[in-house]
Amino acid sequence: MRKLIFLIIFALVFAQPLMASDQGDVKDLVERNIKIVMGFIKNKSLDKETRNRKIIDSMAPFFDFNFMAKVCLGKKYWKPLSKTKRKEFTELFVKRLKESYIEKFDLYTDEEVEVEAAKKVKKRIHVVTYLVSKGDRMEMIFKFRKTKKGWKVYDLEILGVSIVLTYRSQFSGFLKKNSMDDLLEKLAVTGSFATSGSKK
Amino acid sequence: MAIVLFSALLGGCSQQSIEKESLATEQSVTEEPERSVLVTAEEEPESGQKETLQGNSESDAEDEPLTDVEEKSEEDEEDEEDEEDEEFDEFESEFEEAKQEVSDPLEGYNRAMTTFNDKLYFWVLNPIAGGYRFIIPEAPRRGVRNFFHNLLYPLRFVNNLLQFKIANAGEETLRFVTNSTIGILGLWDPAKEWFDMRPHEEDFGQTLGFYGLGSGPHIVLPFFGPSNLRDTFSMVPDNYLDPTGQRKPLGQTESYEAEYGLLAIKTINKVSLRPGEYESLKKDAVDFYPFLRDSYEQMRNKQIKE
Repeated sequence: MRKLIFLIIFALVFAQPLMASDQGDVKDLVERNIKIVMGFIKNKSLDKETRNRKIIDSMAPFFDFNFMAKVCLGKKYWKPLSKTKRKEFTELFVKRLKESYIEKFDLYTDEEVEVEAAKKVKKRIHVVTYLVSKGDRMEMIFKFRKTKKGWKVYDLEILGVSIVLTYRSQFSGFLKKNSMDDLLEKLAVTGSFATSGSKK
Repeated sequence: MAIVLFSALLGGCSQQSIEKESLATEQSVTEEPERSVLVTAEEEPESGQKETLQGNSESDAEDEPLTDVEEKSEEDEEDEEDEEDEEFDEFESEFEEAKQEVSDPLEGYNRAMTTFNDKLYFWVLNPIAGGYRFIIPEAPRRGVRNFFHNLLYPLRFVNNLLQFKIANAGEETLRFVTNSTIGILGLWDPAKEWFDMRPHEEDFGQTLGFYGLGSGPHIVLPFFGPSNLRDTFSMVPDNYLDPTGQRKPLGQTESYEAEYGLLAIKTINKVSLRPGEYESLKKDAVDFYPFLRDSYEQMRNKQIKE
């Protein structure tokens, strides 16, 4: 009995720091990555293509793009898909996600990113960051879930707008009237990184 | 007791895996480009569905064996899929909960108006803002933005008070005093830059939301873009608290030229500070109208909660 009580106290004392260090580690991860990405952006000797590839490479280990694709499409539409269609959708969508993420770095050329806090929200960890650009401060939240291979980003929230949520409702709205093949076609067309927005 | 040990073990595992993760990040970044290409090439298919199994055993071989994970890799593929399904369900419900049904009885009109605003942007606003950006350097344009923002102090002050955000209302007042004096009529923002006093954006729509009023149907306004019934109605009191707004009662024959002129300058200036933002948003969307609509409503809900 005494052993049990001791163990419970032990658990209470140590469980807290363990959780806290999870948060700390995830926060470190984000902080480090932002520093690396900023380094790439400020390094003018890199041409755009190499820079973009480097940014994507540095994110790839902790962004769970494939999972994001799945959740964005939603279970209702994902389940009936064949293996090949799933793969096709995932490829097109992930390409698109990466491109639109990268493109944002061209828009905000003078930004700084402040990493504020890592919050535990149920089983997830939200890392709150602020993008500071031309005096404006935009909140950006990286949402992490725990996987077998560590903590991975499954959603990004910018000014309260969740990327996954907006894609989910766009997809389900679109698929009510159109087929999956239409969607794939649409993703393939608009997903091509044809022109980048006007430069400053 | 078992639970305690288990949780401790889990905690340990997760920490290790994070360390591995961060190592991976550093590696892929610091090493040669060829190497980093390899890393991603390996990464991508793994995080798919079944291939995760392989990935795990590979990375574990290098580290100390984690009993927890090894057991899993012995399980059948089907189990793996079931487990993924379970997680999928969990996220499914997480996002279903977060989803707010946007009331949209005016969809037909709203879509048409979105197209109108889009044309207006590309044919009128963007060319003008582009020319303006070309002629006037960024610093004065920021000054103009700050100036108009400073003038909206009464709006922020009143709405902070109405929501009992007394401290924020106080800080807004300090900001106004500082920026109007040291910041020379609000052209600069020393309150933020030197004293770290940040603005607290509140408008009447947020105040109504604070008191529990729902957004009502979504409405896309000509020129102003996405809005809803609550926020459209709120433009009246907001306008009243805006020194550059049209305050004379309707019906009077006086013209509003000066006010509309100011509004135009304000808008052009704003667009000139964010070139390419609208285009980029538009490209992100699969279907632009619902994308704008949902983004607007999500953003407003967030602002109300703050």
